[in-house]
Order: sequence, then structure tokens, then C-alpha cells
Amino acid sequence: MFYLVGLGLGDAKDITVKGLEIVRKARRVYLEAYTSILTIGKNELEKFYGREIILADREMVEQQSDEIFKDSETEDIAFLVVGDPFGATTHTDLVLRAKEKGIAYRVIHNASIMNAIGCCGLQLYNFGETVSIVFWTEDWRPDSFYDKIANNKKGGMHTLCLLDIKVKEQSIENLMRGRKIFEPPRYMTVNQAAEQLLEIIEKKKQEGDQELELTEDTVCVGVARVGSDTQQIVSGTLKQMTTVDFGGPLHSLVIAGHLHPLENDMLKLFAVDVNTLS
Amino acid sequence: MVNFTVDQIREIMDHKMNIRNMSVIAHVDHGKSTLTDSLVSKAGIIASAKAGETRFTDTRKDEQERCITIKSTAISLYYELPEKDKDIMFQKYNEEKGFLINLIDSPGHVDFSSEVTAALRVTDGALVVVDCVSGVCVQTETVLRQAIAERIKPVLFMNKMDLGLLTLRLDREAMYTEFQRTIESVNVIISTYASEDGPMGDFTVEPTKGTVGFGSGLHGWAFTLKMFADMYATKFKVPAAKLMKRLWGDQFFNPKTKKWAKNNDDKSGQRGFTLYVLTPIYNVFNKCVDGLNLENENVETPVLELIEKMGVKLSAEEKELKDKPLLKAVMRKWLPAGDALLQMICVHLPSPVTSQKYRTELLYEGPPDDKVAQAMKECDPKGELMMYISKMVPTSDKGRFYAFGRVFSGTIATGMKARIMGPNFKPGKKEDLYVKNIQRTILMMGRYTEPIEDVPCGNICGLVGVDQFLVKTGTITTFDQAHNMKMMKFSVSPVVRVAVEAKNPAELPKLVEGLKRLAKSDPMVLCCIEESGEHIIAGAGELHLEICLKDLEEEHASIPLKVTPPVVSYRETVAEMSKMTCLSKSPNKHNRLYMTAQPMPDGLPKDIDDGKVTPRQDPKERGRYLADTYDWDVNEARKIWSFGPEGTGPNMVIDVTKGVQYLNEIKESVVAGFQWATKEGVLCEENMRGVRFNICDVTLHADAIHRGGGQIIPTTRRVLYASVLTARPKLMEPVYLVEIQAPESVVGNIYGVLNKRRGTVNEATTDRGVQYTVKAFLPVNESFGFVSHIRQETGGQAFPQCVFDHWDLLPGDVTEEGSKTAIVISETRARKKMKEGLPKLDDYLDKL
Repeated sequence: MFYLVGLGLGDAKDITVKGLEIVRKARRVYLEAYTSILTIGKNELEKFYGREIILADREMVEQQSDEIFKDSETEDIAFLVVGDPFGATTHTDLVLRAKEKGIAYRVIHNASIMNAIGCCGLQLYNFGETVSIVFWTEDWRPDSFYDKIANNKKGGMHTLCLLDIKVKEQSIENLMRGRKIFEPPRYMTVNQAAEQLLEIIEKKKQEGDQELELTEDTVCVGVARVGSDTQQIVSGTLKQMTTVDFGGPLHSLVIAGHLHPLENDMLKLFAVDVNTLS
Repeated sequence: MVNFTVDQIREIMDHKMNIRNMSVIAHVDHGKSTLTDSLVSKAGIIASAKAGETRFTDTRKDEQERCITIKSTAISLYYELPEKDKDIMFQKYNEEKGFLINLIDSPGHVDFSSEVTAALRVTDGALVVVDCVSGVCVQTETVLRQAIAERIKPVLFMNKMDLGLLTLRLDREAMYTEFQRTIESVNVIISTYASEDGPMGDFTVEPTKGTVGFGSGLHGWAFTLKMFADMYATKFKVPAAKLMKRLWGDQFFNPKTKKWAKNNDDKSGQRGFTLYVLTPIYNVFNKCVDGLNLENENVETPVLELIEKMGVKLSAEEKELKDKPLLKAVMRKWLPAGDALLQMICVHLPSPVTSQKYRTELLYEGPPDDKVAQAMKECDPKGELMMYISKMVPTSDKGRFYAFGRVFSGTIATGMKARIMGPNFKPGKKEDLYVKNIQRTILMMGRYTEPIEDVPCGNICGLVGVDQFLVKTGTITTFDQAHNMKMMKFSVSPVVRVAVEAKNPAELPKLVEGLKRLAKSDPMVLCCIEESGEHIIAGAGELHLEICLKDLEEEHASIPLKVTPPVVSYRETVAEMSKMTCLSKSPNKHNRLYMTAQPMPDGLPKDIDDGKVTPRQDPKERGRYLADTYDWDVNEARKIWSFGPEGTGPNMVIDVTKGVQYLNEIKESVVAGFQWATKEGVLCEENMRGVRFNICDVTLHADAIHRGGGQIIPTTRRVLYASVLTARPKLMEPVYLVEIQAPESVVGNIYGVLNKRRGTVNEATTDRGVQYTVKAFLPVNESFGFVSHIRQETGGQAFPQCVFDHWDLLPGDVTEEGSKTAIVISETRARKKMKEGLPKLDDYLDKL
């Protein structure tokens, strides 16, 4: 059996009882280590589970799935995913490949940022399409996520923005040369995400777009390390989001849509400056 | 020789109207360097003794031994225009002052023509030297074409008249015909590559305009029609300008009627040129050289008397001379080469002020109306600085170089702060940009250098210390929004390569350092490290590589080397449209790219090489051209995403999709993958050539994070490879155009050698039935040892010149076992230590 096990968001103890039982009895345990991270390292997980874990990077998951699936017809193999296996990161491709090989699978769910974001006080019912905000480079500056945020906002919906993480990424040159040299890991902060959004707004203004859905005064909520002991939630305007210190990774950003009075009251609890949230 | 202090030279530099920057260009062995020496001996500034005997500009030992020029050399000349020539001067200039002529002597051998390119860039005019006996040769045409492309105005010099008279003993009319034919071929080239209504106007050469000189560099004499017209003007009391028209072409003088006629049907007249120009010259030759009986009017006057009559005063010693030495002395006194050439140069070649008006738009990448473009157009010494570094010249201090170039606007001064921009610099970015102080500006004259405080625009100079920041070429400016000056385009490409290693492996660091210096010292040589760790040197031809290797071994690295046999570069291409639309999925399977490959129409890759179709063009204009010339769909032709490899190569990727959302957000990644795939093709990692890729359809993940470079770049490469493999992939090899001159008796042997080496003869012409000229195509791969082979087979009587001409398909299919193509692929893969056997389509093609 091939098990996809969600680990939740905080630390080692967030795993479900069912999940833990599977991890303890499985023949091999893989930890998907590139789409998200826990606040603790692999060693602490191993100590808590009392067994060895194999780190699975992007290349292994995307290109060497046969190795992961090996013996799963007869043995139990566990594949650990931070958050929920079908949450922010979708491992549907892995499931399709398992199906193709006739391998049975089961999913052990857990909390994901997709539902835990409710902690900020905004109703999950009122969220629209989720977007990712990616790191810009010199000549790659996609801004299609802005259009989606704007669309959500137009319909009065909130937008959850997942912020880019780069773990074990090769530079283009190393990619071309086939060198296994990886760039140091990078995690986008709420500050960076807010700056990129402001830049897009500025650009749209210059292009003559006057009636923009988003402005620097749009209400936002920044969250960091949701589910851990050091969780941080701050609400304020998009402009304010560029200056608040959120500490270590991972960060997410919510762009609020139409606010219910209760939602507004909740946001005031976390406000940088209550006056900006009238 | 003129002796000037640096201060005096600096003073002339300010008179920009009186400056002439010029190159001397010609086919190998047509006598450039010898001719240049006669100019130097007449007017060279701070030049040392010994001019005339040794070739002043050939500064290297091997140049003197081989009697060829390898590196171009700059020298400065000073000339005061005589009173009588002032009336024909049509450009503005300062009459109180003399002329400063910066002359660059460049190599004639094709293997070194990148040196010519570098020389042309910093000059405004060119003295084209043609051996009047052999006429226009392949390299004459190549360099002339290059000169025209750079908007360099040419004047022509017909050299080696002494050979025509003393060795071939041509009669006067035959001599005229030779001249006439050569001038015509030069003008044909000029009018082929430049239109009369271009910004430079009509610049075909014409003896009656004074833009053609005749003479002998070896004997040190030369003339233009103007000189003879001046001589006769006083005698006949006719203005010189009017007389000049009579001295060329079908102008016949009838001595009986004393009338000029346009034809000579009744044989009663004589051609103006033969009668008034050639007759006196033939006279001197007949009289001075014993036993020389050239066809001529008989003159009974004894030799010394005749000479006296012409106004030539010989010293007592010279009067004692006999035979050829006497001839030389007389001709030199009578028609001094320096005077004729310098007059032609000053009058007919443009000053920087004249030329920068029409050259700036070609030289500058930035907008034509920005600050520096304006300053360059006006050649304004007070404007912002713009200087182009065209090459690096080794100093006596090992491993260091002077950066050599031309100031186009502003003034460059020792110690000033400037922006040093390499070829990869882009405005607004910091890559390849250094802001540094200029350590020192220097004057470069032959093998001497002198420090100088500053140099204003329009002049050529050297810089110390800049070599640390530039590899070969670059732009130096003070304007923080300046764009680069355009890169030079070489007429030859580095198609022959060898791998080198140090005999003693411990000396590898020395080799690496040596390769760096070699790369700097030569405008074109490529030094790189292959994946396999091999150090590769690529050059234009065998001779070029030989010189580079010698320099590396003796100069730059100073260690014994091991060198592999030379190999050539190939190109990968396709012969058909992909037989299906190819699909590749990204590693996360969320993105799918659909593409096809197809061959470009004949001629388009060449158009891209020649810069007729470029990535910088306005897409509308380019689309129009492609639609008109190659019948492309206009809408598709406007959607070219990129050229590759290196952003400029002869392959394209075109968006032919219909309404795909967010397609633009993966453009950069697709282009990066395309650059990668066209640089390292699927067959054996050679560059691709002449392939057009079409993006047919794309399915993308809704979220930007799942379609980043890491997903799209490798996928693009895979789908491009699959497209090539399904479009009948082919290999192309470089082919030389060989020109061989030889006597008739050995022509059979030449054909034999060519046959053995897969050569194909495409033209054989004869010159008076004595000298044969064979033109043939020869694969570069078969050319190693060709020159010595052909010399051996013909007893040293044949002289081949090889110049890169085109890329040709290799015979056979990639899958056909034992075909030339299959063999080359497997050899290349083995050399690059790649996996054996052709890559499989399944590795790149995904199923739906």
C-alpha cells in the first residue's frame, strides 16, 4: 500500500494518530521536502517517529517515482507531505502514476494552510481562487496573479496568496550544464510579496488603468508560521504589509474582499494600527 | 620622416577637419606593407631609421620571416598639402595646418581578416591595394565588401606596375586594358554592395576623379592622373581639371589634326592615357634598363639628358648607377610614391567630421537622437565621451595589453573616470560594466608608444589598464545612459578547432592563464573549456591556428604543449517539416508544450548571418521582409520570439498559437530553453542552423509557481529535440571557397588534389593563357594540409587561398549506417564523451 500522509503545519507532533501508526510500521518513509517546510528539521522528525526518513527532492518525486513505488505492491510505503497531501501542493500526478502501475493508495489528511488560514478571522466560505506569488527575476516578472486577485475582489471574495519558496533550485546555467549545484534556499516574505504587488499597481497606473481593484490601502492580513508556537498574524493595509517584521518562514498573505462586520472585528485584533481598519 | 614632439602631435589632433583615419587593405602579397613603408619613409612621425629596407609595420619576428603581415599596426603620418593641390580639395579643412594621417596596415591573408575588421572599425577611409597583374582576388573582394558595409570610403592603388613592365613586358595598350579591367571589377563590387543614393553618395573609383593611383610600392614611385595633368597644364595652357578628363578612357588624340576624338576607328589617334602618361614612363624604363625593349615611340635622347628634361635632378652618385638601380632612383625622384598617395588620401578620404555624420547610425546601438549619438554625429570634442575599443595590443609587460581604439566623441584623458562597457552590457543594468579611472592614454605608432595627456574625438589611441575589464572589445563613455557601440561583424568564423593540454600536467595553471592572454590578443580566436574538461582553441583556418598555437606556446603560456589534430565545427539542421506535432510535459506534468520544427527557406540563414534579418529589427518591418522575400504569413512572421543560439543565431522560435492565456509568462523560459537547445543540438551538441521552430499549442498550470523556469526550460529543450528528431535531422559542414593561381601545366594536378579531397571546381579562368585561376569549393574538414599537398603536387607552382564560404549538407542520413553524416556524429559524440548511439525520440517525446 502506498500512503500519502499529511503532517500538518506546525511541528512533529501535528501528525495524526493514524498517520503516526502508518509511519511506524511502513517499510520506507519519504519526506517531500521542496514544496513546503516544517519549523523543525528532519532529525527531530526521525527522533519523534523513532525511525529513519528518506528526503525526497523535486527530482526524485517528479522523475524517479519508480524508486519511491518500489515494492509498494507488497509492502507499506509512506510518503509524508507537509500540510495536507491534496492541499496547497497537489500530488495528484503521483497518485495517477501509482494508479497506472496498479498500486493501491490511501490518503491520511491533515490541516493545510488552505483551511488553517481561517485563524486570521476571515471566513473560509468567502475565499476565491488561491494564487501563488512568485519571485521575480531580472527578466521574468509574471503578474497574472494580480488579475486573479482583482477578480476575486470584484466578487467580494478574499484571496489567499501562497508565497514562493525555492529549495534546491538550480541556476539556469547549472541546469543547462547538468550540474547538481543548488542555490541557497529562499522563502518569500510578506514584505516582498506586498512590494511586488505595489509595483504591479504602479505599473498598471502608468499604463493608464485608473479604476484599480487593488490600491495601497487595500486591507490585507499577513501570517507567518501558522500552526506553530510562534505563529504570527498581522492585519493592515497593503502598504503597511511592506514594513511589518514577520520573522522566519513560511509566510502567507491574504487580500481581503468584502468584510462582514464580524470579520472586521477579528481583523482589528491583529491590526498594526486600528484606525486604518474602520 | 618628420620629427615631432608629443605636444606638437597633440596640437594637430585638435584640427579634426585635418585628420584622416585610414586602413590599407588588400589581398595577400599584393604589396600593402611595402607600399606603406614608402609612406612612412616620406612622412612617418617619430619613426626610426631603416624604412624601405625592412617592413616597418611588420613588428613581429615571424612576420618578417614569413613576409606576411599577421597583426595590424597603426602609424601616424604628417603631410602638408602643396599649394597646387589646394584647389581640388572639396572638404572643409584648416589651410594653415598640415594633415595628421593615422594609417593602419592590416594583414591580407584571409585567416587574419578579423584584424582587418578591427582596423576598418576605427578608420573612415581605405586604401585598397591591387596587384595590377593578378587583378581583383578573393580577399580583395572580401575586405572591400566589409569596408563598404562599415561605410568606409575606398581609394584604389594599382600596385606592381614594375612587374607588368619588366617581367610581363606588356605593351602600353595591354597595360591600359589591365588597369581598366581591374578598376571595373572594383567598381562592380562597390556598386553591388552600396547603392548610389546611399548616405555616402557615389563612391565608385575613377582615375579622372583622382581616386585611383598607379605605381610600384617596391620601387617607391606612384602617380595619379592629377600629377600628369599638372605637368602638362603649364605646357599646354589648359586647366589641369580639364586635362584629367582627357587622360583616361576612350579619349584619342590625333597628332595630325591636333584634335581629340571619342573613338579611334581609323587608327589615326592615340589614347590620351598611353600617349601622355605611359609613353614617358615606358621611355624611362627602356632607357634605363639594358636590353629592355618595350613597345614605345622611339626617343633618341640619351638617358641622362631625358631625365634632366623631365625636371628630375640626380645626385652625382646616382648618375653613376646603371640598370635597375638607376631606374629606381629616377622613378623615385620623378614620381615619388609618398606625394601621390598622400595627396590622394588627404583629398579623397573623408575626415572624421565628414564620415561620422553618416557612420554614427551604423555604429551606435542606442537611439539616434540621444546625447552621445548627437555628439558623435558632430564629432564634438566637448561632448560626452564615446570611444570604441577594437582590439588589444600586447605590451612589453607580459600578460598586459593596451586597449586600442577610436574616440568618436568627447575627449579621453589620463586619470578621468569613465564607464567601461563590455559586449554584454545592457543599458540600465550593471552586468559587464565597470566605472574606473583611465590609468593612462597613449599614442601608438608602429612599435613605439608615448604617453599623452588627452586625446580628442576623431583620433585613434591606446589606453593602459583597461585590459583588466574588457576581453577583446568594448565601449568607453562618460554618459551614464549611453548604449554600446555595435559589435564588429567578422567575415570569417572560427570553424577549425584543436584541443590543447600542457605536456606537463602540473603546468595547467600556466596554460589557463596563457589561453586567457591569447583570447585577448586576437580579435577572433575562441578559447573555451568543453564539458569534458578539454581546452579548445578555435580559429579561422589552419594558418591562423598555427600562429595562435605558436604564440600560446612561446609567448602567452611559455610551456610545451600537446595539441590534438584539428577538427571542424558542424551544424545541426533539419530537412523536412516535423512529421507530427511533438509534445513534451514538464517534470510536474502540469504543463504541456506542443511544437514542430521545419527548415528555413534557402537564403534566410544567410540573411540572418549578414544582418539583413535581425532580432533588433522592428517586428513589422522584419515581418514585411519575410513575407515579401520568403512568402511567410505576415502574422506569423511578426511573432518571432527569439533568434538563437546567443540571441542572434540563424534559428528562430515562432509563436503560432491561437489565444493561449498567460503564454507570455513562460516566454522567457521558452527562449532560455531554445537558446540552450540551439547551442547544443540533439545529434552531437553542435550549434543548430536554419531551423524554424513553431510553438503550436501550450497547456499551462493555472498558477505561476507551477510553471517557473525549472519546469519550462528543460521541457522546451526536450520538445525542441523531439521536433528535430521528427523532421529528418541533418548535419552541415563548413565549406571553403578556394582560389588557386597556377600555370596551365599543373592545372591537371590541382584537379587531382581537389578530387581526392571532395572538392568541386566551379570556375576556371585563364589570364592570357599563361596563368590559370581555378575556383573550387572544398570542405574545411578536407583542407588540413591542403596547401602543402597542392604545393607538393605542383612543384610549388600553385598558390591556394581558402576563405570560408558557406555551410553545406553532409551526404547521407543520420540513421543510415556508414554514411558520412552518421560517422561524423559518432566521432563527435565520442570526442565529447557523450553516450554512444543516436538519442532516442522516446527520451524527448511524451504521450498524451
